[in-house]
Amino acid sequence: MLIRLKGGRVLDPVHAHDAVGDVLIENGRIVAAASNGRDADETYDVSGRIVMAGGVDIHSHIGGSNVTMARLLMPELPALAAKGGAPIAPTPAAWGAYATGIRYAEMGYTTVIEPAVIPTHAIEAQTELSRIPIIDVGGLVILGNDDFSLNLVRDGAGPTEIEDYVAWTLQHSKCLGVKVINAGGCAAFKFNARSFGLDDVVPAYGVTSRAILRALQRAVTGLGVPHPVHVHCNNLGLAGNIETAVATIEAAEGLPMHFAHIQFYGYGDEGPEGLSSAAPRLVEAIDAHKNISVDIGQVLFGQTTTLSGDILRQFDGRRAASPKKWEIDQGDGNGTGIVPYKYRAKNFANAVQWAIGLEIVLLASDLWRVLFSTDHPNGALFARYPEIIHLLMDRGERERWLERLPEAARQVCNLPGIARELTLSEIAIITRGGPARVLGLTDRGHLGAGAVGDVAVYNSQADKTAMFASADLVFKDGELVVRDGEVVNVTWGQAFQVAPDFDAAIERRLDRFYDRYYGVNTANFGVPGSIAARPDRFATVPCLN
Amino acid sequence: MAVNVKGEGAEEASAVQRAAELLGHARLPLIGGLLTDIAGAEAALALAGKLGGVIDHAAGEALSKASRILRETGGCPASQGEVRNRADIVVLLGDAPLKRDPDLLEDLFPAETGLPRPGDAPRKLVVLGGGKVKSGSHVPVTSIALGKSDLPTLIAMLAAAVAGRRLTATTKDLGELVRLAERLRQAAFPVFVYCPSDLDEPVLDAVLDMVRQLCITTRASALPLPTPGNGDGVNLCSAWTCGLPVRTRFAQGLPEHDPWLYATERLVGSGEADALLWIDALEAEGAKPPRGVRTVVLAGNSGARNAAAEIVIEVACAGRDHDAALYLARISGIGMVTAATPRMAVPTVAETINRIAELVPRDLIPRDLVAGREARPC
Repeated sequence: MLIRLKGGRVLDPVHAHDAVGDVLIENGRIVAAASNGRDADETYDVSGRIVMAGGVDIHSHIGGSNVTMARLLMPELPALAAKGGAPIAPTPAAWGAYATGIRYAEMGYTTVIEPAVIPTHAIEAQTELSRIPIIDVGGLVILGNDDFSLNLVRDGAGPTEIEDYVAWTLQHSKCLGVKVINAGGCAAFKFNARSFGLDDVVPAYGVTSRAILRALQRAVTGLGVPHPVHVHCNNLGLAGNIETAVATIEAAEGLPMHFAHIQFYGYGDEGPEGLSSAAPRLVEAIDAHKNISVDIGQVLFGQTTTLSGDILRQFDGRRAASPKKWEIDQGDGNGTGIVPYKYRAKNFANAVQWAIGLEIVLLASDLWRVLFSTDHPNGALFARYPEIIHLLMDRGERERWLERLPEAARQVCNLPGIARELTLSEIAIITRGGPARVLGLTDRGHLGAGAVGDVAVYNSQADKTAMFASADLVFKDGELVVRDGEVVNVTWGQAFQVAPDFDAAIERRLDRFYDRYYGVNTANFGVPGSIAARPDRFATVPCLN
Repeated sequence: MAVNVKGEGAEEASAVQRAAELLGHARLPLIGGLLTDIAGAEAALALAGKLGGVIDHAAGEALSKASRILRETGGCPASQGEVRNRADIVVLLGDAPLKRDPDLLEDLFPAETGLPRPGDAPRKLVVLGGGKVKSGSHVPVTSIALGKSDLPTLIAMLAAAVAGRRLTATTKDLGELVRLAERLRQAAFPVFVYCPSDLDEPVLDAVLDMVRQLCITTRASALPLPTPGNGDGVNLCSAWTCGLPVRTRFAQGLPEHDPWLYATERLVGSGEADALLWIDALEAEGAKPPRGVRTVVLAGNSGARNAAAEIVIEVACAGRDHDAALYLARISGIGMVTAATPRMAVPTVAETINRIAELVPRDLIPRDLVAGREARPC
């Protein structure tokens, strides 16, 4: 099967390409030219339209026991979110697994990473992910507050030992990378700590957040896992936490590290309210440390729910719950906290948060390391991405939003003075090329020969919200799945994992550990390859060594 | 394999065909029991979506109650692993937890030392309003008898004492409760263990309020024991599939949850449901289908195979005859159970329901109901 997308404006920043031309997809992959020079079986005239690779989302909570707990706590979320005029179907099904894949595809996204797989609940996470149609997925498995990690760090385990544990966990959960959430902070919460910084010490274990993070970062790097350790820092959401962000960036010591939803760490403590934008200082740190990447975690005004493995932070945040209900699930390892939240334009702090996220992108000099996200659903529901793209591309739109904000908020941020408007190519970097590169998914995020046949075609429009809300055409693995913004063909994607080797000795130790402390067999929570009842569900991304 | 249509032996293929016709032509088909694994629940949800029917679980009452409290007020649960390793005071509410799980104390108080935990007080067990309990020599037990009171009253008084309200200790019981409240406030990680099915909603609210009150100064939690028959697994599966717990109807384009309206007993008793697909396919946890409605039973155990139903189809028993994903208390989540002696010849619940679904006539499917969207021509 050969498909020709004819005469569109092809935007492929990975290959520094922005020109009118054709894109060819043969048997599910992008090709430079038709084999044997034959004619296309199907030709789509896309002249005047924008052609990009399918979107790649590096951080979006779309499946797992934590997400489903939030669904049960907050079934009314889609209805409340839709009240603000947001493009969300007002039915609880709108954030079920099925609708998630449909909505992502309609926006032209084809790969999404679930960033918080609980090791002992990986079966549920992978089952849920497998019920999301069309898109490919990958999970990041959470380590760093579990007692086995803490034991290893406390006992001064050698690099190989920690690498073995990380490799075993990755294989057991069939995940693509490792997530560390408030390293040590959630363990400290179990000892009744209510705040935790980079150099604070976990009670009973005597290890610092810094030491845990360093050990796991080195293990991920040592194993050659393509995606660097994916970090949710300490002190999320607190005024003045720019110091934590910069200190953690420096603590990466030149090795790769990805920082999740960095907007939530861009807070200075200046101004009359004791909260100000520290985006310039954050961007300076990002520029100066080429080893790190970030995703934004942009917030938008409206109803959402926060959901996080940072149980210490969520416990503190419960007081701001809106509606007034919350779930603090003190699970094994990190646990999960779910706190419904409504961001309000008239709320000073919310307005500053909104501005900081945009500032981080608009001030960044290297967008390949500053990636698009809302930390769905924490900052905003993913269905609202098009509004953010619009804000990044259109200064006038930003000014219209700024007018709604409290004057005090405008005084402590930089956004009103920023003229930059992102180009379509730059949007393609932060929503495609950049995330794919940081994830190590080399066959996507671009339109070069050999890339997967995931392509989104948009109608060029001045109203960027409308443009990116519904793609004109979307191809997944070379199959047409969306036409005129609506799904016409429901396909089922793959889940990416890495499978680094480990010494079998770690397996025996873990078997003993779980038997003694939890009374369970590790096989009870290992993800079988057959989980989706589709033989090719899992695809292994090779490690770099 | 055993298959029965109207009490007579029948070919399996014909029984599946008859089941599809019975369900496909019903005005309001109900899929109940749902004693099955995650794959079986997923297939049941898809079939309910296709038929515009209702799904419920044999423990639907308890599941709905817990779901409603979560939805309206939230919660503060702990995993069993956290309780086992770190709770310094465990309070069992009534006799129900130990009746439900006779191995519970062994699980929560293993002889070997657990993981590092907060505080240095020895671990303790308190049984509130229950009988005498033997917990092994390493765990001291305090029993607070019901006396002339009842469990809800005892819980309410304890909650009041925890909240710092003054109780006049005129009887021995009150004195015990006041002392317990003080011990809970001083504890590093007190946990209440209970069966949601055993307590009414206001009582569950009181327990959760007590936890929230204790959380202000210390760590505290609730450990509701899992609902029998993989109820929690099925309920979670329902939530990720359609966004709502069981007792949900897939009609009129949207999933609609109503714990009273879509309860099995009420739907059958009132005659609103005119066909029932009853699934009873877990080992040792049977549940009888309600009488008075045309019924298809998918039977994984001998009790279910003898059910008085129009059609009975033998299916494999999840976790015994085939590997299965089920809710497991020890990981407080969904895990895999490996079949000791797999029986490949008997179809699973999921396979059987999927075959029924394929045979339901296409013209009965106006909408893609699980997604809550208009179906579009593909």
